[in-house]
Amino acid sequence: MLDVAIKSLLLKHRDGFRTVLKDISFSMPQNNIFTIVGKNGSGKSTLIKSLTGLLDKRFYSINGQIFIDSENVLSLNQNKLLELRQEKIKYVFQDAINSFDHLKKFGYYFNKLAKNIEETDELLDFFFLPEVDILFKLYPYEVSGGMAQRISLVLALLTHPQIIILDEPTSGIDSPIASLVLVKLKEFVSSSDNSVLLVTQDLLFAKKISNKIAFLSDGNLTDFFSVSDFFDNVNNEKLNLFLNSYTEIS
Amino acid sequence: MSEILKLENVSYSVRSGKKNIQILDSINFKLDENSILGISGESGSGKTTLAKIIAGVLPITEGEITFSGKNTSNEKKRAVQILFQNNGEILNPLREIDNVIEEAIVIRGYEKNTHAEMEEIFNSINFPEHLWKRKGYELSGGEQQRAALARILAANPELLILDEPFSAQDPESQLNLLNLFLSINKKFNITMICIAHNLRILKKLCGKIIILYNGEIIEEGATEDIFNSPKHPYTKFLLKAENYDLSYEELRHAKRQL
Repeated sequence: MLDVAIKSLLLKHRDGFRTVLKDISFSMPQNNIFTIVGKNGSGKSTLIKSLTGLLDKRFYSINGQIFIDSENVLSLNQNKLLELRQEKIKYVFQDAINSFDHLKKFGYYFNKLAKNIEETDELLDFFFLPEVDILFKLYPYEVSGGMAQRISLVLALLTHPQIIILDEPTSGIDSPIASLVLVKLKEFVSSSDNSVLLVTQDLLFAKKISNKIAFLSDGNLTDFFSVSDFFDNVNNEKLNLFLNSYTEIS
Repeated sequence: MSEILKLENVSYSVRSGKKNIQILDSINFKLDENSILGISGESGSGKTTLAKIIAGVLPITEGEITFSGKNTSNEKKRAVQILFQNNGEILNPLREIDNVIEEAIVIRGYEKNTHAEMEEIFNSINFPEHLWKRKGYELSGGEQQRAALARILAANPELLILDEPFSAQDPESQLNLLNLFLSINKKFNITMICIAHNLRILKKLCGKIIILYNGEIIEEGATEDIFNSPKHPYTKFLLKAENYDLSYEELRHAKRQL
């Protein structure tokens, strides 16, 4: 298991005018799926990137503490950060196609990361992806955005991380495929002591997948609530407005 | 109602090594003027390719596209516009928005008061005056999308293609965009095609829907009919999975039926 605790995280844009994240604290006990929702531009993607030092220090100044296994990420050197991202925490980004090198076939990534071919076969089959023989010969620009996202998730799973962080996992994919992602992530957190953190605008997906949900608004994060409390019992004006729009659109 | 667009046996394929890969296969449909058509389907089924083909960005391999708007032939490029998913990229990040829009109105050949026309466009898309002098990079994602829409409206299109306009937008922006599209459809008499995965939103926007699967149209009809009595196994699968509560066995089983 991996112990994660974020304490008083404060993130400012170096232009001096904007505080992107204000005094954010939360912890992530294992075997849970945590979801953060919020309006466009509320800082969701910035928050998840800050957790493993992925933000460019030239543009952001960051204060506070991010403890992962009692080590403060903010004081880790570059090698330790790389190790953390290689072994323990994996990301699946929204723009998955561009997280691959366009001149390398998928086989390159699988040969590098996947030790076990049977496991690879099983995961590709699970996600309705082409078999190894076909997929390994494809270049990233030859697949659709939704497919690249699934391949990125398969690669993340193959490295057996303890935490998977996903940015908008349902954007650009149809509902059957989103359902597969949901089933697999639930299995990931229940079969061993793992956890998942995701940000999404798909509130129905959030409702169905999450153990805990929080709302990020103007850089402030609410507590993580249970799904039923989040949708029905939280007294927060901005959240209520947000949920009203959702009801109207669905 | 008169017809603005007709696709007859339209196919598109690409060569990969020695193989020919069929992206779109014999697409046929017609579009009435001022209507709003929804296109949904599997990821990778060719939705964006279809949009690009209609706009003339990609050439067709076979078949025929007839665009019968008022501005045909050489004017076609301006008469059909696409609002892409990553719409921020169509804006010059370093130019003031009002500048961009006014220029586009001039390029279109508008002979009356261009400033008044610009104000009219900004007002109709709820783009407030304090943003007019901002540059592309100074706008949030939602604001960029509206600025991109203003740029498109400045070209006075007859057919507007929206590619996943709702994806990754918060519920409030989705609602605003939905109302915006409905109002510009009426106000500017623009025919629209909207590509989206989210069927619930398409239901609120479109009178007719097309479902693509593997580069083919597998279902086409009035939105209500498709929701109430889907015919093709993939459409049934799509609607059944919409609530994200199918088990893995159910998902697998449905996939095998295709």
